[in-house]
Amino acid sequence: MRKYILPPLLLRYMLLLKVTLIVSRGAAQQELMLYLSPETWHANTVNPALFLPEKNIFIGGPSLGLDAAHSGDIAYRDLLRREGKRSILDLSGAISKLQPENTLRIDQRNERALIGFRLGGWYLSGNWSQRTATTLTYTRALAELLWYGNGPFVGQLLDIGPSLSTIRWDELGVGLARSVGNRLCIGVRIKYLSGAAMLLSDEARRKIQVFTEPDVYQLSLQTDYAFYSSSFIAAVDTSGFGYDLSFNALKNRFGQNAGISGDVGLLIRIGRHLLLSASALDIGGRIQWKQNTAYFHSLGKFEYSGLFLPGTDILNGTVDSLDFGAALDSLNDVLNFQRADAKLTTVLPARYYAAVHWQLLQRWTLGAVLHHQRDERRQTTAVGFSGYWLPLPWLGVGVMYSINNRSATNLGLSAAVRLGPVQAFALSDNALNAITPYRSAAVNFRIGGALVF
Amino acid sequence: MRKDFFSPLLRILTVVSILAGCQKLALDELEIAERTSEYAFPVFSTRIGLKDLMLKVLKDSVGGDTIVINPDQTMTLFYSGNVAEKPASDIFRFFNFPEVPVPINDTFYPYPFNTLDSVYIRRVDVASGTLNLVVNNARNQPITGTFYILQMSKNGQPFSVPFLVPPRQTFISPPIPLKGYTLTSDNNRLEFRYEAYLPDGTRIKIDEVLPGIAGIGILIQGFTASYMEGYWGYSEYPLTRDTIDIDINQTNLKGNVKVKNPKVTMTITNSWGFPTRGVVKYLSFIGRDGKEYKLNSTVFFGDSIDFNYPSWAAGEVGQTKETHVVLDSTNSNIAEIFNAQPIRLIYEVAGISNARKDPSIVGFLTDKSTIALRMKVELLLEGSAQNFDAEQTLDANFGQVVDFDTSRIEAVEFKIATENNTPVGAALQLYFLDVQGRILDSLFTQTPPPFVVKSPPVDANGITVGSARAETFAPMNVARFNRIRQATSMRLNAAFTTAQEGQVPVKLLANQSIALRMGLKVKMRLGGKP
Repeated sequence: MRKYILPPLLLRYMLLLKVTLIVSRGAAQQELMLYLSPETWHANTVNPALFLPEKNIFIGGPSLGLDAAHSGDIAYRDLLRREGKRSILDLSGAISKLQPENTLRIDQRNERALIGFRLGGWYLSGNWSQRTATTLTYTRALAELLWYGNGPFVGQLLDIGPSLSTIRWDELGVGLARSVGNRLCIGVRIKYLSGAAMLLSDEARRKIQVFTEPDVYQLSLQTDYAFYSSSFIAAVDTSGFGYDLSFNALKNRFGQNAGISGDVGLLIRIGRHLLLSASALDIGGRIQWKQNTAYFHSLGKFEYSGLFLPGTDILNGTVDSLDFGAALDSLNDVLNFQRADAKLTTVLPARYYAAVHWQLLQRWTLGAVLHHQRDERRQTTAVGFSGYWLPLPWLGVGVMYSINNRSATNLGLSAAVRLGPVQAFALSDNALNAITPYRSAAVNFRIGGALVF
Repeated sequence: MRKDFFSPLLRILTVVSILAGCQKLALDELEIAERTSEYAFPVFSTRIGLKDLMLKVLKDSVGGDTIVINPDQTMTLFYSGNVAEKPASDIFRFFNFPEVPVPINDTFYPYPFNTLDSVYIRRVDVASGTLNLVVNNARNQPITGTFYILQMSKNGQPFSVPFLVPPRQTFISPPIPLKGYTLTSDNNRLEFRYEAYLPDGTRIKIDEVLPGIAGIGILIQGFTASYMEGYWGYSEYPLTRDTIDIDINQTNLKGNVKVKNPKVTMTITNSWGFPTRGVVKYLSFIGRDGKEYKLNSTVFFGDSIDFNYPSWAAGEVGQTKETHVVLDSTNSNIAEIFNAQPIRLIYEVAGISNARKDPSIVGFLTDKSTIALRMKVELLLEGSAQNFDAEQTLDANFGQVVDFDTSRIEAVEFKIATENNTPVGAALQLYFLDVQGRILDSLFTQTPPPFVVKSPPVDANGITVGSARAETFAPMNVARFNRIRQATSMRLNAAFTTAQEGQVPVKLLANQSIALRMGLKVKMRLGGKP
């Protein structure tokens, strides 16, 4: 349990989410580049029908990946700077770049283990992954209020209730693929999902409004804000004008909040040089949150007009003291989050890929890929065009131009190294940002390794 | 050569990219940049009603004052002096019988009773009292007889006491109640008569006990009358002398205050049944400057005025009559006097009975007859003021604010907002005082202080139209803020000026009030190194 006063707390939340975008270790992204790197074993994670030709055993090591972006042009360096050994959070530059409403999304995937076998015309695979999907929508007013105080916003109604959806889960998958003739391969994967943590705001109750009267700065705070939480926050205690948040006090054990999802994919080879592929991932993905799950609701209106001194007390000179504490006690009443046990089913975002590979030369391959992802709170679509080159027998490099919802100027790069059975790769759909994340509003990369026999 | 160069470069690039993306930032070590934030919040609010203000004024002045809210919401202040009530017995003392027996020196003995020289009592109804008859027999044979008071009768029978005195003994009658007897006289005297006989029928005069000391007497005790009737001649006597404190402002009265229509009302409540003339011996205001301002009025005949009284001739015995004397700007110089901001009224009134010396007037008194005089100063709250000063000291306890670390505060700014529908504006200054009452600092630095309360315009009747809002800001640096938060009390100084710069009379209404609110903006440096 750590004690926070409200503004620093929210500030830290924002910071946490923002920084997670940049620094998280994991793997999951729009992954256009991965999809067009079929010689990389980890490409199997985006298409269960995809197996490396002429290989029989695949053991994937840890793989880290992140696909995250913030709307607008907010970059790491707009938030954080280094002074000597000190890391300093400074929102001054970032706030001016914020839109009235801003969205931060983070998809993170951490492949713990991958394994695959070829059994004649059948391909078996298994995986254990840890994944996180986060979307945060917040207003510029919230950032300004936290950073500059309410003084500059006298007379303005500030809507500061954020919309937040973050789900972290473990995934155990078993895949089966089968070649049908020489031109078709179909794959399917069934995944068992175990919810680890969840924080989901109630879209029907997003109101947190702050108003400072121009008169003498009377404060008004109105809330009808609610969120579901499992594991993240176990309790909210508003006594003492601040928040006592109980973080991670209740750990979800594996399987307590479970669900399933599925992946399907196919490959169609046309001639010697053309390969079509498509996949649908996380189909029907749902997690039922039953354990350690609660619904927190704050509903009320707080108005603080300062102390009221009866005029007769002033006339009689009997004003006792300026006791602000008692009046502010009522603030707790409106901010008090009522907790109730809850059950909830969350739907995971489904992803769809379709691609074409054309082997132009022996060592050159051209490709194009279409990606679409949708869930209840967002939809993203991206299309990329790539070239892949094998300059050396042990090295493959790729380049990609892609367009997505937030940018039409994404340059992707990939590199895959094969040293005997050892395979390692690093790739990014937005390579410049991955190299210089401090100046980037979006980051996408994935790295990993495998043993391929 | 190419192979040797390219391979490590790619590997290095890969590693650098990964590290760049994966640089870890420890949140617990994160430092928030120093910045200036500004917080605005309300401090206090209050509403002061004119009615409360006036009641406060009255509360601080002498007792008996009151405020009357008239049907049109105008208010009238009444400052009252003590009620000077004079029972008739305080002035007119009758029948002061001695505490020892009254010797009766002869068989017919006139006994004058006490009255004022000018009063002739012709009838007295006895309310209480007893009479003892004492007869001494110095002879060797018994004496029988009867004692009479010829002017006193009951049910048509004169008062009489029979007695039988054995030889060489003294007769003392039991106390004989006198209640219910009526005493009549036309010459302010009682006539005692007795008849005494020896056993052989010889009428005698009771022998003296000692030479010159009568052997018969009466003792009258507890004699009171419920009604007296007669003639009251010319006689002067004191009624009252009193002071009325009319200090509207309990502190330093400054400024040019004009009260439009001040009044002094003298009310005489009289149940004395004969004509009485009030003589104003002294009637002056004392100004704030200590000078005496004599109140002159045409309502007085000279310095006198006749009080109404219940008339015996008209059958008004037991009634009470009132006399109202109103001194206002139409019949006196009171308006001019109030421009000098008087702080008290001193008056002395005497009474004269039958000032016209009319011998035909039959008067009366009862045991309940009184004459009461009340003097009131009546101020309809209508007038004008310029820089009318008032002050009030308030206890202040800033509580935790005293211990608040202000090292990060850059500046503060107080905001005072007022909404006023009274016709009175005010310049305010707030002084912050330490425990010894010394001034630590003030809210405003400018002199004179700003008009924090503005008055709305008034109509032709002096009544405000709408309300006026005023906003005043008092910026303050940290050094000053540190001083004032140490204050243990605050002294509020107000200089009131009525609408249109105090040039026109205005009316103060009971439902008018001033709302005053204060807010505070604090600019402070947040973040950075602790």
